[in-house]
Amino acid sequence: MKISDIIASANSNLFRNKTRTFLTILAVFIGSFTIILNSAINTGVNDYIDKQLEAAGGEGYLEIMTNEAVDTISSMLQSSSEVREYREASGSDQKSTYITDEQIKKARKVPGLESIDLIYSANPEYIKAEGSDKKFAVTNLNLMPRGNVNLDTTAGRKPDANTDKLEVALTQAYVKALGFASDEDAIGKTVTFAVPNTVECYMVSSHADCLKLVDAKVVGVQAPSIMAAGGMRANLALNQKIYDLATAGMPDEAKNHAYQATAQVDPAKIDDIKKELEKIGLSAMTIDDEVGMIKVFFDAILVVFNIFGGIALLAASIGIINTLFMSVQERTREIGLMKAMGMSSGKIFFSFSCEAILLGFWGSVVGVIFSVIIGNIGDKIAHESFLKDFPTFELVKFDPLNMLIIVLVIMFIAFLAGTLPAHRAAKKDPIDALRYE
Amino acid sequence: MEKVIEAKNLRKVYGKKSAEFTALRDINLDIYEGESVAIVGKSGSGKSTLMHLLALLDTPTSGTIKIDGEESTKLSKKQLNKLRNSQFGFVFQQFFMNPKDTVLNNVMLPLKIAGISRRKRKQIALDALKIVDLESKAKNKATDLSGGQKQRVCIARAIVNNPKIIFADEPTGNLDSATGDKITDLLFDLNKKQGVTLIIVTHDEDLAKLCQRIVRISDGKIIADASVRKDTAKEAMKRLEKEAARVKKANEKEAKS
Repeated sequence: MKISDIIASANSNLFRNKTRTFLTILAVFIGSFTIILNSAINTGVNDYIDKQLEAAGGEGYLEIMTNEAVDTISSMLQSSSEVREYREASGSDQKSTYITDEQIKKARKVPGLESIDLIYSANPEYIKAEGSDKKFAVTNLNLMPRGNVNLDTTAGRKPDANTDKLEVALTQAYVKALGFASDEDAIGKTVTFAVPNTVECYMVSSHADCLKLVDAKVVGVQAPSIMAAGGMRANLALNQKIYDLATAGMPDEAKNHAYQATAQVDPAKIDDIKKELEKIGLSAMTIDDEVGMIKVFFDAILVVFNIFGGIALLAASIGIINTLFMSVQERTREIGLMKAMGMSSGKIFFSFSCEAILLGFWGSVVGVIFSVIIGNIGDKIAHESFLKDFPTFELVKFDPLNMLIIVLVIMFIAFLAGTLPAHRAAKKDPIDALRYE
Repeated sequence: MEKVIEAKNLRKVYGKKSAEFTALRDINLDIYEGESVAIVGKSGSGKSTLMHLLALLDTPTSGTIKIDGEESTKLSKKQLNKLRNSQFGFVFQQFFMNPKDTVLNNVMLPLKIAGISRRKRKQIALDALKIVDLESKAKNKATDLSGGQKQRVCIARAIVNNPKIIFADEPTGNLDSATGDKITDLLFDLNKKQGVTLIIVTHDEDLAKLCQRIVRISDGKIIADASVRKDTAKEAMKRLEKEAARVKKANEKEAKS
């Protein structure tokens, strides 16, 4: 008997008893549906987290603080019962928490370090669109650092770290507030930031007089983010300009103090570089160090759901065994006849195994179809309600390879379940089978 | 004539020790090509067991069976399956059809097992259905047929692989006498026209009398083995004609070479 014939007959045998087959497929379907949808959510959410992580910094991207600053922060976070080793500060406490020029110089010599930039705090007071008098308070303007950092944008691109031009990426909330028609409409427009000069504002009576204005070009609009790295993004040039305007007139000793730096390094050497920086007195952290926990937490939830799917599949396997045992029982004479006509035990085994595999196949294929339909409907509903503000967040993302693997694994599980009844069919004695009433 | 089946000292024992039951003993039976043989006996006499042994569906406890001179125990499982598939045809009292399947699919089953391609086996099966005069029912469900039609389908299934031997186990047992006669005619027709060896297991004396030879079994032993029927004049003529044609053909061949 040809293999194609065995598969074809197995399929038609299955649909001889429609109700029973339907119910077994339904059981497989429930398990496969759960697992496929889960895996799609897993892919979707992890993709989004990855995107967000890239926005906070990708491979080889480091955030750097002085060891003293880290100690200060951790001593604030740690409970008082924990004792930490004393480390002598290299000067006054205040001085040692910002990064010195010497440290930067040394850091630049660390092999594998591609770039390092100090982050100056830039706090403009308001922003307004060109040709409008409506001003909006600026709560959060962050630096778009050099290096392997992406920005999840709905329009335009990320601000360029390597240009002298002043560039900014807005958030969707500011796009709306500043009166732009759409995200695309905002691109290429000019916005003005007002920066208070520390020295002048200390001396003048009218606050408005100490504000310095600086124009920047909108180059991008970023998608809403669930991460802390939200807010508007300035490029290095704009960030520097704002800091310069704010600190103009201050004595040199009080200027150019940065508590944080960002660096782009060769990802392969990241551990060595971290050690080298530690020697200089700088603590470097990757983004994974900081936010990798989110992923772990999410994965744990999905594992629980996958266990549910697995239990459903286990129950379905028992269903397959049961269905096939009934089928073997009902078709005892047919098995006997086929054996009498020269069908080998191996082929009988294979034909019943085939039925089991087909049950797995149909169940998981229907699972794929339904999970894609339900997943897309769910995604749509989510984006009309609680994910309204996160257009780039695909709640479910179907990976064809992933789905194929799941289908194959389920078919294999079904095959395993089918071996028991198939074995019983294969070892039936043709005479007993023919006598069977 | 050649021996197609040669059984020597067959013995079949079921069960063990105290529950031991000897179904067959001291069976010596040769069956020649083109013969029609009835194996007759009461129920429980061992006639079905004998048929199962001869058809290689079961193995004897002791003794040997040769098919075409070859000992069955020397055949591998694969060869055995192939032998049954290509040389034997089976007709059963209870039909053993797949009721939800079409007539054509039922008839095609042996060919499917043999691994013959779809198109080819369909053609062969239709030809077999033509012989039993049921070509028009090919697409019907087997369950929709009458008892007689079902048995005709079974005969079509039995001859579809062009077998050397047909084993028929109470082929008319489930049929009324009129339809039973039709089935019998069909079987003997195959025997006479195509030279198929026919082995019929029955307790029906009328059916047995139609065979050239009757083997009587009682309590697992052969108690009589005799040719019961001489050819009728008409049949003798036919046979002579056939023989003459064969000789003529052989002579022609010789002349050519």
